[in-house]
Amino acid sequence: MARDLDIVSPRGRLTRAALAGWAALVYVFLFAPIVLLVVFSFNANKYGTFPITGWTSKWYGQVFHDYQIRDALTTTIRIALEVTVVSTIVGTAAAFPLVRSRLPFRSGIRITLVLPIMIPGLLIGISLLVLFTSVLHQQLSPTTAVIGQAVYTTPFVLLLVAARLQGFDASLERAASDLGANTYQRLRYVVMPLLAPAILAGALFVFTLSLDEFIITLFLIGSHNTLPIYIYTQVKFGITPEVNALAALLLAASLTLMALAFVLPALVRRAVRLVPRKAGV
Amino acid sequence: MASPSSEATQPADVALPLGRPERRSWTARVGDYVGFAPAIVLFGLFFLVPLGLIVCYSFWQTVDYNVVHNWTVDNYRYFFSVPTYVRTVWATIWVSVVATLLTLAVAFPFAYWLARYVPRRYQKILLVLVILPFWTSYLLRVYSWLNILGPEGAMNRFLQWTGVTDQPVSFFLYDRPAVILVLVYLYFPFAALTLYASLERFDWNQFRAAMDLGATPATAVRRILLPQIRPGLTTAVIFVFIPILGEYLTPQLVGGARGVMIGNLIVNFFQGAQYTRGAAAALLIAALIVLLLTLFRRSLEVEDPYGT
Repeated sequence: MARDLDIVSPRGRLTRAALAGWAALVYVFLFAPIVLLVVFSFNANKYGTFPITGWTSKWYGQVFHDYQIRDALTTTIRIALEVTVVSTIVGTAAAFPLVRSRLPFRSGIRITLVLPIMIPGLLIGISLLVLFTSVLHQQLSPTTAVIGQAVYTTPFVLLLVAARLQGFDASLERAASDLGANTYQRLRYVVMPLLAPAILAGALFVFTLSLDEFIITLFLIGSHNTLPIYIYTQVKFGITPEVNALAALLLAASLTLMALAFVLPALVRRAVRLVPRKAGV
Repeated sequence: MASPSSEATQPADVALPLGRPERRSWTARVGDYVGFAPAIVLFGLFFLVPLGLIVCYSFWQTVDYNVVHNWTVDNYRYFFSVPTYVRTVWATIWVSVVATLLTLAVAFPFAYWLARYVPRRYQKILLVLVILPFWTSYLLRVYSWLNILGPEGAMNRFLQWTGVTDQPVSFFLYDRPAVILVLVYLYFPFAALTLYASLERFDWNQFRAAMDLGATPATAVRRILLPQIRPGLTTAVIFVFIPILGEYLTPQLVGGARGVMIGNLIVNFFQGAQYTRGAAAALLIAALIVLLLTLFRRSLEVEDPYGT
């Protein structure tokens, strides 16, 4: 391998070591805040900071008994479920014409559909605030927050499903039509099973994004609270170990969901492959 | 990822459209586009229309708490007549530029190391580790720094323990350096990913060839590597700079009075029901973004100057 050539000179070796050291520092930089947050959430010190005066899980107990947190959790999950349903349907439906039809202004449409990810969430939040309050005269509610979040999350589903659709063997569909399948049957028995992993990954991704979304929700939620909004209002009064515990739980939830978004699609793919074999097709 | 078999059959798509093309009716052709309908409602009604509304609002007037549809540039004139606001615009640009440069400065050596020196089978897992914090809540990533930078935070405790100071200093928090530090933390994964993606495709043999021909490593980086990864660098700048311009939370939580950015002004306007003035401030961010994209458009178009 040509790689060996890189380390012949002592100076090259030094550069390499320096870069590796830099990379190590980068990982410390990335993980130190998160690790400290989790450490503090188990710290008995009631100011939620150094020194560590002992280990306790009492703050977690308080989190589960706080009715405000329970309310916020219910709202958060309700919103996340609704956003997931809306985004998954809208994003998946739009992926088909985006990939398959010969659209005029295709790149323009593509950019418009992905723009909500690019522009600062602040702009989405305030522009919808103006629309809902001044033009449509709607009361701000979890529903308005769902719409705002869906604008931001749908492009993710669209991108994931479109990517899968692009690498899709279209001759399978032609084979299905040749064998007499109508449009519905083609979708139901050929397209959907193959797209399922991407759709599922998209849905999990959206659920996590919604769970953590802050800035759009801040403008559109009205008098309700989601967990991030609740944490934000608490932080204004300083750090408490209870908020640290809640934060640690939220961290664990998003990481678990994201891991699922990666693992589940592979499992589904395997399951889809196994089913017809068992049925003897 | 496309499997090799599906790639092999790809070209056939172009020749053979789905179904029976000769008998396709008018309704079937409309049917191709029907999938867009929900997206048109969602993005049209709840994304493009509101953005247009903000543009209109920035040119309308607020009279006695009512928005009057008089076209005027008063909101902009007002914004630029207040010295604090103008200073905030410059501060925002300054913070965004410095934070973007620092993010790239941290990410480039990292991506270089990952793409060049790490065996391929470990690259993916190391990359996933970089993105891991990015998958957690944005609010919590900012919040977690309060534990470190705060008066009772890890940094102060460390300084007191080592005897540098005997009481907590608030230097770390509530100022621009804190904002920049947290912004670098927040947007590092964007930069690392885009830079890695372009470095990964780079052919290191060219690098070695340049050095064989007498170039120093620094010259080789500057003359051979940088021109080829320029689209990647530009993408990284865009992905980091644009969201930073619209930052609200970071200056709010760690910035204090000196760390205020345009995003905070906008939120204050809207919370004070000054929609037209807030809209003008928001359009300033949009204008900066458009300006940036126009400036960088050409450099994004230049790909593979060496025709590789």
